[in-house]
Amino acid sequence: MERNIYGYKCRHCGHIHYPYRMRCRKCGKTEYTDFELVPLPKRGKLLTHTKLYNLPSDFMLATLQLGMVELENGVRVLGQLQVPKPAAGMAVEAKIEVVRTTDYDSFYGMVFYPA
Amino acid sequence: MRKVYAVGLGITSFTRLEYPVSEIAAYAGMMAMRDAGLSAVDHVFVANMGASRLNHQSGLASAVVDSLSLTPAGAETIENGPASGASALKAGFMAVTSGVHDVVMVIGAERMREANNLETTDFVATLTHPIAEHVYGVTLPSLAAMFTRLYMQKYGVTERHLAMVAVKNHDNALLNFFAHLHEKITLEGILDSPEASTNNPYVSEPLRFFDCCPVSDGGACVILASAEAARKLGKPMVRLAGVGQATDTHAVHEREDPTELTAVRLAAQKSFQMAGVQPSDVHVAELHDAFTILEIVESEEAGFFPKGQGHLALERGETRLGGRLPINTSGGLKAKGHPVGATGVGQAHEIVLQLRGEAEKRQVPGAKVGFTCNFGGFGNNVVCLTFIRED
Repeated sequence: MERNIYGYKCRHCGHIHYPYRMRCRKCGKTEYTDFELVPLPKRGKLLTHTKLYNLPSDFMLATLQLGMVELENGVRVLGQLQVPKPAAGMAVEAKIEVVRTTDYDSFYGMVFYPA
Repeated sequence: MRKVYAVGLGITSFTRLEYPVSEIAAYAGMMAMRDAGLSAVDHVFVANMGASRLNHQSGLASAVVDSLSLTPAGAETIENGPASGASALKAGFMAVTSGVHDVVMVIGAERMREANNLETTDFVATLTHPIAEHVYGVTLPSLAAMFTRLYMQKYGVTERHLAMVAVKNHDNALLNFFAHLHEKITLEGILDSPEASTNNPYVSEPLRFFDCCPVSDGGACVILASAEAARKLGKPMVRLAGVGQATDTHAVHEREDPTELTAVRLAAQKSFQMAGVQPSDVHVAELHDAFTILEIVESEEAGFFPKGQGHLALERGETRLGGRLPINTSGGLKAKGHPVGATGVGQAHEIVLQLRGEAEKRQVPGAKVGFTCNFGGFGNNVVCLTFIRED
């Protein structure tokens, strides 16, 4: 089964939001259920990135790479990076993997690799 | 709308404090009552972000009002992330300007160092979006780092400019008894020498250790009063003349242009508009430099310098003590310290001190108009204040 991260497409104006919000930021309609789940594309362009050396307590790692990516449909997301030499503008492709593990749960999210 | 004046000032050292958070708050409050010559107030607002999580103390304002023996005055805790302090001042302003109260005590207090480094990093990171940011291991330094890289690409800001902010603010903090870091640093020591990478390692590339504020404990208090009550007290008439607030998307990546801090721009504009002044009228400013890049960008968004030129003004020394517009004379969050809930009140404390002419060695001569920017989340909730010396 292919895993996806889903965006929220407004049924009125078609704007795709990520993350979820209760009310469309673009057209402002107030019907609560008026979002359609759409899988976000996996490929995109790296906008900016960082290598973090001081991690939150759930991460038993020395460093963690994070990046902001503009996906092919224009939606921007944050994700983890598995890129040896990240550079702004490079093409990346996401896999949906476990990004955080707490005592009880595992959380999936986007991990970007060189495309 | 009634005019509102700052009549009392109190502050603790911003450092590691081995006292309960309620006592840290109450001490600042007591100092401010002594400064104003007051023995009672109508209402107490206490700004705090993490006492219920870090110090096992919820309902902080109730503890503080009792500790100060000010009962039965009303008391509320105000939480608005790192902008809690200026939000509490805004609440105090509204209480006095509306005529509901005449004299209101606004305290900010935080005790962060009771928790360990990991817990504190986690605690601050809970400001971020839970699904779209926090889950990935995002922390505030990492958001600031990604923002910095975008800014470097677009406007040519370099690590040297960031280090210059740190050096300037550490120099200012040496003149402030209450500052957290009394430590002279130099560009050579943190950037140029072979030991620099050891002295100043990366926290989140391209931000280094000296680009980030320390984790501090501390409390600050400003007492606000109506014109009539203020005149009776006989303190210099410093008016809280403008209050502006604006918000932005919770997740940083959703912003149309992620290099803009729109909420800072809008909050500053509203604050100046209410006060009836222009950015060019300001003589001294306290900006929210939790990360060095933020001082540069906020100085642009507030309208002091054109967009993309804040780092050039810094290079020319315009923001130093003695420059055209001294910024963060207290040392800023960078060196004065950043006890999150107390910071906004601490900024106002410094500006009122400057406008009174009581800032001693770091006094900006003749300062009549001052400005503070208190920045919550990563720019998603910003409160700006403008103060004017009237007499």
